[in-house]
Amino acid sequence: MADRVIFVCIVVLAAVYFYATAQIPSLEIGDPLGPKAFPRLLGIALLITGGMLLMEMWRARGKKRQEDASAPAVDRRVVMVISGVVVWTALYLSVFELLGYVIATSIYLLGLMAYFHPGRWVTNILSAVLFCVGSYVMFNYVLGVNLTKGILPF
Amino acid sequence: MDTLTHVINGFAVCLQPINLWYTFVGVFLGTIIGVLPGIGPSATIALLIPVTFGMNPTSALIMMAGVYYGSKYGGSTTAILIRTPGEAASVMTSIDGYEMARKGRAGAALAVSAIGSFIAGTIGVIALTLFALPLTSMALKFGPAEYFTLMLFAMTAVASLTGKSPAKGMLSTILGLMIATIGIDLQSGQPRYTMGVAEFQDGVGFIVVVVGLFAVGEVFRGMEGLFKGTAPEMVKISGKLWLTKEEWKRSIGPIWRGGFIGFIIGVLPGAGGTIASILSYTTEKRLSKHPEEFGKGAIEGVAGPESANNSDTAGALVPLLTLGVPGGGATAVMLGAFIMYGIQPGPLLFQNRPDLVWGLVDSMYIGNIMLLILNLPLIGLFVRLLYIPAGILYPLIVAIAVIGAYGINGSMLDLYLILFFGVVGYIFEKVDIPVAPLVLSLVLGGIMEQSFRQAMTISGGNPKIFLGSTITVTLVVLSVISIALPFVLPRLKALKQSEDPA
Repeated sequence: MADRVIFVCIVVLAAVYFYATAQIPSLEIGDPLGPKAFPRLLGIALLITGGMLLMEMWRARGKKRQEDASAPAVDRRVVMVISGVVVWTALYLSVFELLGYVIATSIYLLGLMAYFHPGRWVTNILSAVLFCVGSYVMFNYVLGVNLTKGILPF
Repeated sequence: MDTLTHVINGFAVCLQPINLWYTFVGVFLGTIIGVLPGIGPSATIALLIPVTFGMNPTSALIMMAGVYYGSKYGGSTTAILIRTPGEAASVMTSIDGYEMARKGRAGAALAVSAIGSFIAGTIGVIALTLFALPLTSMALKFGPAEYFTLMLFAMTAVASLTGKSPAKGMLSTILGLMIATIGIDLQSGQPRYTMGVAEFQDGVGFIVVVVGLFAVGEVFRGMEGLFKGTAPEMVKISGKLWLTKEEWKRSIGPIWRGGFIGFIIGVLPGAGGTIASILSYTTEKRLSKHPEEFGKGAIEGVAGPESANNSDTAGALVPLLTLGVPGGGATAVMLGAFIMYGIQPGPLLFQNRPDLVWGLVDSMYIGNIMLLILNLPLIGLFVRLLYIPAGILYPLIVAIAVIGAYGINGSMLDLYLILFFGVVGYIFEKVDIPVAPLVLSLVLGGIMEQSFRQAMTISGGNPKIFLGSTITVTLVVLSVISIALPFVLPRLKALKQSEDPA
């Protein structure tokens, strides 16, 4: 099943890539190939890969059916949890520059720890806040890597 | 005796206090991330690049190499104590190592992997020292066509050897090459596939991709495990951290053989530490007088694979340093680091910067001694890392990834990209698409396209140049074989079986 989806993705991607390649303006002066030749080769290679995948699916057709039957179906709750983490991370990133590294990251970490390491409030708050303040001080003042300060005054 | 002079000069570089310090930091970090789940050598090296930007490149590269080979030492610890390989290459160690631990021989298992790693790691560095110069003199004859076909071979070998399906390996390779074409084309100045986003004109940084795929993706996987409650149980260290005479006698053969197997596999593109350790394990099982003990705590099954996956790292540095073409994920990230420092590894580097190359190679002799000390008397300290609750560790790894990605050039787009590639890495793992080929081809993509176009310019647009010399023909044939073999081999086996009864 998954392999069929991958195959469709390959075909769609190849089409999009060929289209985008055709959009590149090229002057072709002094360079017999221009910026499009290598991408075209890649597009062709991608289609060949799609063919290889079809061959593999064809060869494994008997085996796969048995595996599909015995393999557990996709666990919906896992999908929910991981999607939740992804959305939470995206939310965190969207306020990253507004709130600043320390505040945004502390809230983000606390949220995750509350879910994945539940009930240990003291440990969680200590490790989240200490990590954020410590890494901020180390990177901003020692290593000279600038992390956003956001609404904090320092 | 050119090599000897260089080695002596190299020691003058790597014995400078600053370089000794960075060797130590590298192997120490390597051991930590080897023990910790969720973050491996590729992601760590990538995260170190922005931090080390102002540093002297020799010291920075010494440290990154230390992370790379150091992680292999740490990986065995979790394999033995919680049956979870800290690094993919320790997967064979987790079979017999964990059984030994359950039988109260955890101390012996840890000791034999540290000692085996040390001996084999040193064998690997010696071989690297000996092979480096002869290979560079060959590589000096390489033109763009030779380089293009060499990269083609490296990519096809990696694609067909990592993961279960060669087609999916190829898919991963081509995706990496396609991502590499995003940005301004260096020869014509045309922007390609930027979708109107100004930041994409500089291309998609490989650091962001590596951190997303290897750190964030790994964290999602770990969180899934936490949610399902499949946290493994840890065996306490038991027994003295040393070997009995009998155990020592059984281990020394596998250590030597593992050391040589690992180095050879490491030099070849694609195969890497996991295959080296599997090969060593099956070799030892075949040679053993009591193969039935394998899987039930045979010390040979720890000594061999652990040695093989350590000398493999030295082997993997051979093509990276001498040819400038890496044969796997972690060495590809190291190539990326070299390039960010404005250094192109390859034969010319041996001529122009012998201090850097030989300082780096010699630092590995010293790093291995440091690792032996870190992993025998001090192993108890690192085992404590395993008591960090995963529910705290995984969120922190995301935060570290965010710091690293934001630290490169303070771009929000980079942060969204690590999240995107984290999701991609998580999904790819679910559907058996390996990610190492993508990283390799992403790093090599730009150079590959340049050498392709240079070769075509030389030949006036005639593609026959890629079959113009013995070297290119050999490499093209090898590339075709590495793609075709997985398809042809089962047929041949089937043929043979149908002939056998008759």
